[in-house]
Amino acid sequence: MAKLPVSAENIVKLFGPHKNYSPKEGFEGRDEPDKVVETHCCFCGMQCGIKLLVKENKVVGFDPWMEFPFNEGRLCPKGVQRYLQNNHPDRLLTPLKRVEGQGFVPTSWDESMNKVVTEISRIQLKYGNDAFAMLSGVSLTNEKSYLVGKFARVALKTKNLDYNGRLCMVSAGAGNKKAFGLDRASNNYSDLEYAEVIIVAGANISETFPTLTHWIWKARDRGAKLIVIDPRNIPLARTADLHLDVKPGTDSALYGAMLKYLVDHDMLDHDFIDNYTSGFQETIDAVKDYTLEWAEEITGIKKEKIQAAAELWGKAKTSFLLHARGIEHHSKGVDNVLGCINLVLATGRIGKPYCGYGTITGQGNGQGGREHGHKCDQLPGNRDIENPEHRKYIADVWGINEKDLPGKGLSAYEIIEAIHRGEIRGLISICFNPLVSLPNSNYVRAALEKLEFYVCIDFFLNETARHADIILPGSLQEEEEGTTTSAEGRVIRIRQAVTPPGDARTDTSIILDLAKRLGEQKRFNFENSEAIFNELRVASKGGTADYNGITYKRVEDEMGVFWPCPTEDHPGTPRLWEDKKFKTPDGKAHFNPAPYKLPGEVTDEQYPITLTTGRVVSQYLSGTQTRRIGKLVDQFPEPLVEIHPNLAKEYGIQQRELVRVSTRRGEGIFPANIVETIREDTVFIPYHWSGVKSANQLTPGTLDPISKIPEFKVCACKLEPLREIAPASSESTAYAST
Amino acid sequence: MNYTNFNRHEEFFVDMQRCIGCKACEMACAECETNGQETMIHVNYVDRATTVQTTVQVCMHCEDPVCANVCPADAISQDEFGIVHTANTERCIGCSNCVMACPFGVPKKEESFDLMMKCTMCYDRTSVGKKPMCATVCPSGALFYGTKEEIEEMRPNSTAVNSFIFGKEVVNTKVNIMMPKGSKELRIF
Amino acid sequence: MKKSRTFNRKALLIASGLSAIMVASVFYGSRKLQNFDAALITYLFGTVFAFFGIVYRYSVWLQRPPTWLYFKRSMQFLFKGKVFSHFWFLSKETVNNIALQRFIYPRSQYRWVAHFCIALGCMSAFAITFPLTFGWIHFTLAPGSISVYEAHFFGFKVFDFELGSLIAFLTFHALNWSSWLVIIGSVYYLRRRLTNPGLIATQTFEGDLLPLILLIAISVTGLFLTYSYQFMKGFAFDFMAVLHAVTVIMFLIWIPFGKFFHIIQRPAQIAAHIYKREGVQRGMAVCEHTGAEFTTQLHVDDLKELTRELGFDFDREDGTSHLDLSPEGKRSRLAQAHLKARQEGGNLFG
Repeated sequence: MAKLPVSAENIVKLFGPHKNYSPKEGFEGRDEPDKVVETHCCFCGMQCGIKLLVKENKVVGFDPWMEFPFNEGRLCPKGVQRYLQNNHPDRLLTPLKRVEGQGFVPTSWDESMNKVVTEISRIQLKYGNDAFAMLSGVSLTNEKSYLVGKFARVALKTKNLDYNGRLCMVSAGAGNKKAFGLDRASNNYSDLEYAEVIIVAGANISETFPTLTHWIWKARDRGAKLIVIDPRNIPLARTADLHLDVKPGTDSALYGAMLKYLVDHDMLDHDFIDNYTSGFQETIDAVKDYTLEWAEEITGIKKEKIQAAAELWGKAKTSFLLHARGIEHHSKGVDNVLGCINLVLATGRIGKPYCGYGTITGQGNGQGGREHGHKCDQLPGNRDIENPEHRKYIADVWGINEKDLPGKGLSAYEIIEAIHRGEIRGLISICFNPLVSLPNSNYVRAALEKLEFYVCIDFFLNETARHADIILPGSLQEEEEGTTTSAEGRVIRIRQAVTPPGDARTDTSIILDLAKRLGEQKRFNFENSEAIFNELRVASKGGTADYNGITYKRVEDEMGVFWPCPTEDHPGTPRLWEDKKFKTPDGKAHFNPAPYKLPGEVTDEQYPITLTTGRVVSQYLSGTQTRRIGKLVDQFPEPLVEIHPNLAKEYGIQQRELVRVSTRRGEGIFPANIVETIREDTVFIPYHWSGVKSANQLTPGTLDPISKIPEFKVCACKLEPLREIAPASSESTAYAST
Repeated sequence: MNYTNFNRHEEFFVDMQRCIGCKACEMACAECETNGQETMIHVNYVDRATTVQTTVQVCMHCEDPVCANVCPADAISQDEFGIVHTANTERCIGCSNCVMACPFGVPKKEESFDLMMKCTMCYDRTSVGKKPMCATVCPSGALFYGTKEEIEEMRPNSTAVNSFIFGKEVVNTKVNIMMPKGSKELRIF
Repeated sequence: MKKSRTFNRKALLIASGLSAIMVASVFYGSRKLQNFDAALITYLFGTVFAFFGIVYRYSVWLQRPPTWLYFKRSMQFLFKGKVFSHFWFLSKETVNNIALQRFIYPRSQYRWVAHFCIALGCMSAFAITFPLTFGWIHFTLAPGSISVYEAHFFGFKVFDFELGSLIAFLTFHALNWSSWLVIIGSVYYLRRRLTNPGLIATQTFEGDLLPLILLIAISVTGLFLTYSYQFMKGFAFDFMAVLHAVTVIMFLIWIPFGKFFHIIQRPAQIAAHIYKREGVQRGMAVCEHTGAEFTTQLHVDDLKELTRELGFDFDREDGTSHLDLSPEGKRSRLAQAHLKARQEGGNLFG
């Protein structure tokens, strides 16, 4: 059933992506808005403050919000253009149903909801409750994330709920839980200001978190040394004091060698290690053979540079280590994270002013969304779904019997595999475009085609939704009240600037309605988003991610509150671990051995080149939103394959020549961008595009055994020049490629 | 003109080594009321084949603007605050003299309008005491608008310079570029 | 900025000479004032004065080096070979740019419509009033008729028409039609100037609002004259007639100094187009930094000379010039120079 009803091209014609631009002199009424709404950007984890201008229930423009402390008005291009979504021709305005041969035709809410409920019942009756899975996403607010978690377990009664945070920072989450017993960036970003050394590992900050650049530059103005670890010479690396051009998939070797250097040269904080940590000996035993020479051999970084980095890190009095997807998207993503944490713990620079560590959460609510239970193994407050005490507490909050609470389910990519195996037959998704964002997209597409029933809630008809039987028009971030938690752990207020247009509804009301129709009205009786948040506070109480003391009023008055915040008179916790009482069972920070392992796929004669993927500044994740905003598309119209001139010469590839890049899973044709700013043995393709322009046709479904994150950042590929120069980028229609 | 609130103490400071090429400024500039969805600021790769270096260029608002001098239509004027205004729409004949003669490569010919357009330092905002859009959103501090005291405090290792040497020509501008401490000028060649 | 001198002997001579010729043509065109309407004498003085001012200002303007460059070049191109091709191009350009003002359309279709209304209104009004004022056109009853009118131009009969006919209606009310067009366009622009924040920030009262108000005043007072004697038995006719004369004369005298000078200046746009067309045929300049064509080589060469004449020296030691770079190339070179200076300073940050 879930094959496309008509050709993808025909769907694109009606539902986009179409590029939206402001009219020549801006939208009507921009200069005299009905209201100016102080809210936040809908995109990355920085959650920059921004003001939206509203005229006649339409978002018509933006204004910088100078008072919000993190960004003080600063924005990236995505933030500046984010206002073009509510007022967009592709915006879904009515429920749609799939009609074979006709495409998607409008239907009523009643008909579509009835269909959904009937299909859920049919599939669950026939194949069991867990045969109906749910996929969610962390562009959703805390309230919606919490609600989805409760909905899936209580109303849908399935264990198979997972979310797109699985592609984001789960490796960091797992690593942080192992080391600290809690999953949050340890510091807020103002601690960068006087850090003497900053390590940025696998984080293309200047393109993926542009507004964070300000804080790093600020530290450098105070004399901080910047060390950037990345296979590419990214804008942040260009001016850095040290750029370690690591070979993709070898990060843990680098951190291991640095740790050994610190140990060998006694650049350790013995007091901290002895009194507040455990596992040090096993950890340094694991790296005892990791000499600089060995590390140079493995990582491809000159040993002098590794040494210089270790010296800088070892001698600093204050420091901040930041990492992101570059080290996390690996089959050993958790090991890489632990390798970083080991460097932090060895020098004892945590829990003190200007001594920081943290992952930079990628998605808008990547932090808050990963705490409140729409992960397959988790319950609100970052509780463990397999821990009997945790289960009991949440079952009580939800008013259900603990034994009716489903257990641990499958992770996002495993759900796709289970669909292939026939274990999962039905799917509901919200805020997730797996066809573009999951690895091995041909395999994902085949899975979608096997589904018996698929219902998608979204505000635009994304690529995955083309396989749906029913599409329910939900809400944009600016169309509903709520809160998110930024990458710093700051809980902030998202405002409803406008109500959903046409017959579209808020995501919350859709989920509540579904719950009601599934017979669970009394457990889903919320008057508004604040009521959901208040239940979330109770549900998170006593958990590691404790929101109990946070209220809407406090968030508004204080411009955000940092969790944990157990009571209403608690000031919140901008900096963790000042008391050195870690949340692990023994109360200590844990060193964890992180020995170097090979990536899931290594280069060989057939596939001799390493492929890595990433992002560009003007696009966001799977592009459902940003591939519909004209100027953002025009800024980077199509994915290019970045190739070093020496490698290009070997293959006789010219600038903008079309190159077929293939892996064991698929192939794609991309224009070459020949640049010296990438390693000679590696090529890079950004992943925001769909169909034949999707980099994820190539990436592998190898998962980290602990975090289940896919290995987007390294695989083996081959290159085949096509001896044809690509047409000008400005003519590209990659934004809508099928 | 509505210049009652133009803040004479605030100045524009540019440091293109901080630029990360994100183009937030370009997007924001197009939101400025004076230039209707056209962007007047320029961000471009310096030489992408070898480096990710980008540069960002606002109008430098020269003391003796070459653009106005070479304009055959008297379309470019300079006001009492030293702002060099964009081409007067009824005068500009679209000849591009200013585009090609500006030593900083700032004016832009809008071919479909047959009109030159350029940065007016966000006159709609600065004339009422606000900061220009580009400098407000710039996430990297490559563009900063504020007082001399503020920049000196923020960037203790730099000096603001507004004198540019092109061979024998010295061009003095209203806009500053941040240079190594103690610099007096920037020599282009 | 080097201001052009206010007193300019050459311009004075040209303006005086041409004004004298004009007065002579009024004298002879009206058959030695025989057809001259004495009631229009004030208008005549205003027009002559405006004419003098326009010519003076235009001559001063032409002497500015960049303007002279375009004037000189377009004359060279126009009268040298391929005359037919040039003539065809010139006609096309005149229709598109002067008659239709097509370049405004992409800026905004409403702006184009409004501007076209004003332009059409003004041009038709000029076409009627100047010859009337100069006595070059006059109407008489056809000999032996009480209902047929004859129109004369320079004293020669051009056509005749029946009183009360459609032609009569259109002809006698031609100025009213012009007035309505001007009012429609001016009100649109006035509204835009009063509401658009970008314009509010950059406009001046005398430079941008007053001209529109003046146009509306001329049109309204003019229309009032017609309606006063047609429908209101001449109510306030004399007062309005004076007011109309005052606004018109203000308008005329102001042409050389204010916004309306663009009417006179606009044909220079065609010169720029000819210059570009000719330049493209001669070859493009390639930027040494980006490796891409960016303008005509003729333009670059002329600008080098022009900037030198204006007192700027962008020459490099090797004989090339900073102007050999495209705008993007110049920006990149500045950034590279800045990078070098930063590197020499020992730190990229500070």
